[in-house]
Amino acid sequence: MTWAFVRVAIITGSLALALAGCSNNPYPASDRAQKILYSSFSEAPKTLDPAVAYTTASHIITGNVYDTLLEYHFLKRPYELMPGLAERVPEAEPHADGRVSYLFKIRDGILFHPDPCFQLSQGEGRSRKVTAADFAFELARLADPAVNSPLAGSFGQVLGFVEFAETLAALRQTDPAFADLPAHEQYRRAGGIAGVVARTELELEIVLKEAKPQILYFFAMPFTTPVPWEAVAYYNGQPGREHFADHPVGTGPYRLTTYEKQYRMQLERHAAWYGSGVALADAPGAVFPREIAREDILNQQIDPDYAGRRLPFLDRINFVREREDIPRFNKFLQGYYDEGHIIKESFDAIVQNDALSPQMSARGMRLDKTVEPSIFYIGFNMADPVVGAAAGERGRKLRQAMSLAIDSKAYLELFLNGRGVLAQSPLPPGIFGYDAEYKNPFRQPDLARAQKLLAEAGYKNGLDAHTGAPLKLAFDTPNTTAQALLQYQFYVSAWRQLGLDVEINATTYNQFQAKVRRGAYQLFTWGWIADFPDPENFFFLLECGNAQAKSGGPNTANFCNGEFDRLYHAMKSLPNDERRHGLIKRMLALTEQERPWIELFHNEEYALSHAWVINSKPMGLSYPTYKYMDVKPELRARLQVDWNVPVRWPLYVALLLIVAVSLPAVRTFYRERQ
Amino acid sequence: MGAYLIRRVGYGLITVLGVLFLLFVLFFAVTDPDDIARKAVGERARPEVYALWKKNHGYDRPLLLNRAYAAGDSRRYTDTLLFDHYRRMLTFDFGNSDADDSLIARRLKEGMGPSLSLTVPLFAFGLVLGVLLALFVAFFRETYIDRAVLVLCMLTMSIAGLLYIISGQYLIGMLLKWFPISGFAFEPYLAGRFLALPVLVGVVSGIGADVRLYRTIFVEESNRDYVRTARAKGCGEVRVMLAHVLRNALIPILSNIVITIPFLFTGALLLESFFGIPGLGSLTVEAIQGNDFSTLRTMVYLGALLFIAGQILTDISYALADPRVRLT
Repeated sequence: MTWAFVRVAIITGSLALALAGCSNNPYPASDRAQKILYSSFSEAPKTLDPAVAYTTASHIITGNVYDTLLEYHFLKRPYELMPGLAERVPEAEPHADGRVSYLFKIRDGILFHPDPCFQLSQGEGRSRKVTAADFAFELARLADPAVNSPLAGSFGQVLGFVEFAETLAALRQTDPAFADLPAHEQYRRAGGIAGVVARTELELEIVLKEAKPQILYFFAMPFTTPVPWEAVAYYNGQPGREHFADHPVGTGPYRLTTYEKQYRMQLERHAAWYGSGVALADAPGAVFPREIAREDILNQQIDPDYAGRRLPFLDRINFVREREDIPRFNKFLQGYYDEGHIIKESFDAIVQNDALSPQMSARGMRLDKTVEPSIFYIGFNMADPVVGAAAGERGRKLRQAMSLAIDSKAYLELFLNGRGVLAQSPLPPGIFGYDAEYKNPFRQPDLARAQKLLAEAGYKNGLDAHTGAPLKLAFDTPNTTAQALLQYQFYVSAWRQLGLDVEINATTYNQFQAKVRRGAYQLFTWGWIADFPDPENFFFLLECGNAQAKSGGPNTANFCNGEFDRLYHAMKSLPNDERRHGLIKRMLALTEQERPWIELFHNEEYALSHAWVINSKPMGLSYPTYKYMDVKPELRARLQVDWNVPVRWPLYVALLLIVAVSLPAVRTFYRERQ
Repeated sequence: MGAYLIRRVGYGLITVLGVLFLLFVLFFAVTDPDDIARKAVGERARPEVYALWKKNHGYDRPLLLNRAYAAGDSRRYTDTLLFDHYRRMLTFDFGNSDADDSLIARRLKEGMGPSLSLTVPLFAFGLVLGVLLALFVAFFRETYIDRAVLVLCMLTMSIAGLLYIISGQYLIGMLLKWFPISGFAFEPYLAGRFLALPVLVGVVSGIGADVRLYRTIFVEESNRDYVRTARAKGCGEVRVMLAHVLRNALIPILSNIVITIPFLFTGALLLESFFGIPGLGSLTVEAIQGNDFSTLRTMVYLGALLFIAGQILTDISYALADPRVRLT
């Protein structure tokens, strides 16, 4: 405690010095010439365990610290997989019994980051080579019920995955001594996952019960990274040791050197990364793409001089926690953050006519737009007797009419500064099956047609033809803020033009979810951001097996259509070919007519970066691209100084003012005294 | 005095128990263990993941009464969330955060330094400036200086704290570029640069009320008989104010400030949150936003304890400063 007070005294003293020093630069002068990228984060990561981490806040660390067998190509769109730690992207090998296997050949000579945990296996050694067993260990962790991986359900098609989890749980329950063993020992005694086979030290075979091409996308996510058993055994939270969730040990281009997650995180270049060595210097994940689209160069998103150069370019990446948007954005404008996002309050000053304002362009700033693989929609509860499937043709026409009344373009202009792409179907741009030319006939605002359909449904001018009473509908929403209510009111006003009386039932997110679980909702609003760029990851939200009412799944609309399900099951296992495209078209035609959703928009991200940031092309997916980025520290230092010259005259004016106001009083006092 | 203290501590303990019960009722009236689990492990997790999380964190037990045990079994009442809530708080076993499983005791230790770095200078500068300005105004009472400062005080009191923060960041950090807009450094020699702006904003936003209060006390004191006597004996006005008025006025000022001292440890909610200071104030804000019951109850519990401690300290300091006061 004494030290704490000494500290406080020093700080108080330095405060006085700061008043005299007057500089708004938050970084030490010694960092100015270094290749450091300065960024920020608003929410602290909950965990850095790659089997569990599922948020952007965690992925900015895990995505850089952990390498994966496959990676997304940095520049190609639609997204394309390429080899990472694997030598090539494996082909599916079908078996006679319907099973399918993938054989990953792992690059030789990949080393884990040096770490004290390796004393468990290497004696004094500080690192070791990655083997197929390290991948198998991580896949076993995904299955382990105690790890709580949110992705466990996605690996259900791996042979023996579910059975392994059950065996593990049963052994832990029946044998307390087993439960006390380290995780890798438990997995070994439980027999491992039948469909995850380390054939040799550098060959990993994955056997699936049936075809599922999307499984490959999961091998481009940190969930399936190699994890050394030593790290999990060593970092067990015992006194003097951290939890593995706070101490990642990976193979990636960067190492986590500072992790004070409430305040700051720091990544430093890993000198022994596989791309830095000679043997694997030409691996696709270790060099900048050689083919660069002309559009990327013209947009200044990519510097063509980097083609074919070895990665990474940055020596350090500093993340500082900024809970609030306004200070974060202002520090970006001052040049103290290299990348930033536009806040609503400053949108008009930054963006004019859908491009950077002249003032910002003059500062050399760049604006990168990316459409997220996402969909925001209004859903109908198809289990509801009025708006759902039970209402038959009447319900369908009602849904079609309500869909025609919503003008998403006006919504985007009003509430999101036009940031977004109007949605015509559940599929966003960049996803196989998306057709930019497609116009959904029920998503072109047309009130006259909507009124006609409503009349055909038996609700002319919003009145029920049978009872003569006005049709009342409930719109359940998960947000009670004034801003959100205004947004919901926009939809309700559109429906009111048809004569429909829709009442907003605004509740908190928790209460809304409780309503969804109880099935007590009619209309709702929701969104989805894809885990991986495949149409299956959108259509599964409408598959009957995932219906909320049946299985508590993510099909909140409870859409159950036999034909749609048949097409979905046929489509989901196919590669991206003509046949798959044909099936997708038929599925879209079904959703077009049935209208379980009113598709609103696909979110568009506007990212800003300064002139000194190179190769800032955003990925869209939650996938860090720092190993491709670079900065020009000299330019940054010069512009930071130019942009941040302190304005001192108000201080002198204030002092003069105080003296001027006080002088007469003091004079009066002395006069009276005499 | 001993009996008085024992009685006050007893009352304090009852208050703390009440606060804990109120917190439990209020928290679980708006949320339930399922919501806490969902917030902790994410919306997309499977039901069995929620169940396991609840089991690992003790949220699989009923709130008040465990009907799994027979009527005579004491576990019917002890194996519940309410009992565990009290047991943990009263034994200072704060456990782990519901949000990220980190040790709450460690978070408190880590957060106390940044919080004190902000609140102690804020308190010290605020007090010294407040007293000096109030003395100055009291010295020139009933003049245009007095009125002008009082008007300014009313103005500063009428403006919301958040506005001071946002406009302070914009004016001083963004336009004048004197200090960083936000941030923090653990290195003491760097910390001053980051703390200058939040301290300035905190002092300005709080000074109005302090100056008004202190001025009233000083003016009241300066009309007393002993002051008139001092003046009659030829004592200078400056000496009257500093040696006589200030010393005697310190007693009510002391009672006003001693109660705030314990709260220096809990940090400043808004200032820490907006200026990116990783202290206990921002920890509390985060716990509220993240449904982190275990952290929130710890902060509320500590806040209640510190409040009681502040009250008792005030009483004691009052008795020590003024020989006329007897604690019985």
